[in-house]
Amino acid sequence: MDSFTAITLAVFLPFILAGILPAIEKLLKDKIGWYASAVAFLSLLLVAQAAPEIIHGETIQRSIEWLPSLGINLSFYADGLSVMFGFIVSGIGVIIMSYSNGYMSKKEDLPRYYQQLLFFMGSMLGMVFSANTIQLFIFWELTSITSFMLIGYWRNRPMSVYGATKSLLITATGGLFMLAGFLVLHAITGTFDIPTILHNESMREMIHGHELFLAALILIFIGAASKSAQGPFYIWLPNAMEAPTPVSAFLHSATMVKAGIYLIARIHPIFSGTDAWFFLVSGIGIFTMLLAGFLAFRQTDIKGILAYSTISQLAYLMTMYGYTTYHEPGIGVAAATFHLLNHATFKACLFLVAGIVAHETATRDITKMGGLRKEMPITFIVATIGALSMAGIPPLNGFLSKEMFYEASVEMGALLGSPYNILIPALAVLGGVFTFAYSIKLIDGIFLGKRPSKGLPEHIHDPSMVMLAPAIFLAGLIILFGLVPSIPVHYFIDPTVSGILLEETQLHVKLWHGFTTSLMMTIVTFALGILTYTQYGKIAEWQNRFNARFPWISVNYYYDATVENAKKVTSKFSNRMQPGPVKTYVLALLLLTIAMFAIPAILLASSLIPQNLNFDIPLYEGLIFMFMIIAAFGAALLPRYIPAILALSGLGYLVSLLFIYLQAPDLALTQVLVETLSTIIFLLAIVKIPQKFKEHVPATTLTRDLLIAVTVASMVFILLINANQGIIPPFESLSHYFIEKSLPLAGGHNIVNVIIVDFRGYDTLGEISVLCLAAFGVYNLIHSRGDDE
Amino acid sequence: MTTLITKTITKICLPLVILFSISLLLAGHNNPGGGFIGGVMFASVIALTYVVYGLDHIKSFFNPDWGNWFGFGLLLASFTAFSAIAFSHNFFRSAVEFVHLPFFGEVELVSAGLFDIGVYFVVIGGLLSIFKNVGDDK
Repeated sequence: MDSFTAITLAVFLPFILAGILPAIEKLLKDKIGWYASAVAFLSLLLVAQAAPEIIHGETIQRSIEWLPSLGINLSFYADGLSVMFGFIVSGIGVIIMSYSNGYMSKKEDLPRYYQQLLFFMGSMLGMVFSANTIQLFIFWELTSITSFMLIGYWRNRPMSVYGATKSLLITATGGLFMLAGFLVLHAITGTFDIPTILHNESMREMIHGHELFLAALILIFIGAASKSAQGPFYIWLPNAMEAPTPVSAFLHSATMVKAGIYLIARIHPIFSGTDAWFFLVSGIGIFTMLLAGFLAFRQTDIKGILAYSTISQLAYLMTMYGYTTYHEPGIGVAAATFHLLNHATFKACLFLVAGIVAHETATRDITKMGGLRKEMPITFIVATIGALSMAGIPPLNGFLSKEMFYEASVEMGALLGSPYNILIPALAVLGGVFTFAYSIKLIDGIFLGKRPSKGLPEHIHDPSMVMLAPAIFLAGLIILFGLVPSIPVHYFIDPTVSGILLEETQLHVKLWHGFTTSLMMTIVTFALGILTYTQYGKIAEWQNRFNARFPWISVNYYYDATVENAKKVTSKFSNRMQPGPVKTYVLALLLLTIAMFAIPAILLASSLIPQNLNFDIPLYEGLIFMFMIIAAFGAALLPRYIPAILALSGLGYLVSLLFIYLQAPDLALTQVLVETLSTIIFLLAIVKIPQKFKEHVPATTLTRDLLIAVTVASMVFILLINANQGIIPPFESLSHYFIEKSLPLAGGHNIVNVIIVDFRGYDTLGEISVLCLAAFGVYNLIHSRGDDE
Repeated sequence: MTTLITKTITKICLPLVILFSISLLLAGHNNPGGGFIGGVMFASVIALTYVVYGLDHIKSFFNPDWGNWFGFGLLLASFTAFSAIAFSHNFFRSAVEFVHLPFFGEVELVSAGLFDIGVYFVVIGGLLSIFKNVGDDK
């Protein structure tokens, strides 16, 4: 199997296999989670199939034509960056789905849960391998939607619904900004294809000099920031913690929130090396890093602490990818990439531990915990490894990437000169101090100290291996990457960094490299971190007081206000727009039609009635027309419902008779059938109401309606006689094309049907989807009325 | 509405119309007909029985979930559309195959025919689920 096929399969198999999951569930019952992990493992193997080529420094790219007329193809591109992400997504996927077997209770709706997890995994893989910006956008929004469903997994908890809605609103809106950015990029370069831009020096320079450069950058960055919870968009991530813990570990720490980081890394070669890039990406990064690290202090929910720590760790990555100068476009890229991998390991590990603890103690409140080290020794060890790696303690992998971060900060500061040579490293250290403090808090609050006398269950013990093994595996990775950094560096980091910087790079990461500036900074970090930790409680209290006094200094306040107001405004709007009576809607529709016809007719047409009309009507046609007119009058004037409806149907049947006379059997058949069906439905509904018109119509209304009716009728008449005159140039008649091509291209004699299922198949697909939606709509209409009364 | 005459005629019509609707569906590629027309015909005859015999009476022995029908149809149609990609053709590219079968002679197999069958099921399911919901409403 060649690599391209492997990657295509890795992306689409999760979707297909998730589709048949309910059927498998009938066989496996509550063991269905193992099936899901097997699917994830299959994707992992398929990504691994493509990996050797990438490690050798090649890239894979092929595409299948999708919309050639718009330059959009279904294309996949694999380089170091996407393969590393592919490994993280599918690897953590295997771990999470195995872990879920222990975490999710057997009473839950398991098929729905695993199906959505697999859908998410497929979308995420599709996103990182997309070579086309439009395709990337589609998969990007798919991850937003699956995230929405997974956060709201417990549908009947109001907080879950709130968190899910929040995340969808923010990330999906950001995605739309990103799409706009891609369109701007397309306007500059004329292509949707990412590799084309990446590997084309002159094109990249053209982008740098273009007047739309800043617009494209800012729009795409908003997308990335909203997905990765950066800057003011951070508010959705803490609320996303309402999801089941494995979901938080998978989506909101290891993979989905990294999508924004992935995007930043992907467009790094295109936009970096400019001041705008540094100030936007690093600026927002540093700001978020400090803010989120500081806000973590007041959290009492262990998942809340982890959420804020995730935000600040993602901000680290943003900051590092943002370090750039004109001559050194990617100072922090290596550090960022390494930290990205490490963050996936230790944060997923900590989330799994949080899940274990919450599962065993039935609470997530850190103030109610303490002293669990005796009862859960293995969990304690695993948690300590994860937290210390996050705090950056040697010899774990977090230490290595933190060192690289400090190094890059010093370098960046030096390149920018005073005052930045002090400021940037100082801010980096401050971020490290916060990280250190909340990492220690996690361990101290849960496992150390005294066990509280009440609030915890009597017997707490280590969970089964189903839940422990994934966490132990991740802890093992943390130690391995820390002690032997050459493994991840050789297999993941080097190819990735080469892909981002577009040149061969060889990194040398060592655990011990003498007393450097960065080691000094680390020591300072530890010292200050311990100092800060002693004041932990006071800081949290001060934050709570501050928040109570100034509730309006928070992004959440504005989000809530906006959403609340939106509800009010929309209900006003819909009361105005949806008054109820069908008559109003029909009226509005007809008036709009008249306007849309009248304006171009007045502006363009020389005469409304064409010359040399053909007036000889055969007797047969004339008779049909006469009956049609009579039927129409009957439908309008008969005073009882049933006769009026019958007259209306009679009109319809006469129309189909006309179709037969004009040799259009397909149309006639359809017309007869639809007419029959609508008559039956009409009659069904009509027998339930009184049989006489009771309402009194005032003369003014009648005149108005009559005027509108006459106008519409004459408008249609004018349109039709004009259409009969033959096609106005430059528009050619399409029928010749279809008559010629129907048999050779689609093998059918019936042109009407061939158009429906072949030439215009995509329209038909849309139409039948609409029909299904209409059926659902009717169902909802009928069944939702009972709730209001 | 429900006189003896209508009941009897409905009984006789039902199998005939169903067969006719299937033949319309299959003949659609070369003769008048197709998925939409066939589907509407099928739906209208079922609707007729509902009207003539009463929904509740019919539901007591024949009560399919029409929602599944249109779901299946949509799946089939989408599958047909996307399957062309698996053979590395364009989206929606249709394939024509002439097969020689005993009894039937030359039979033309068109992948668009599968798409048409999808349309058929969607139309039946959609219309009848609307119909049933409206009729059920007390």
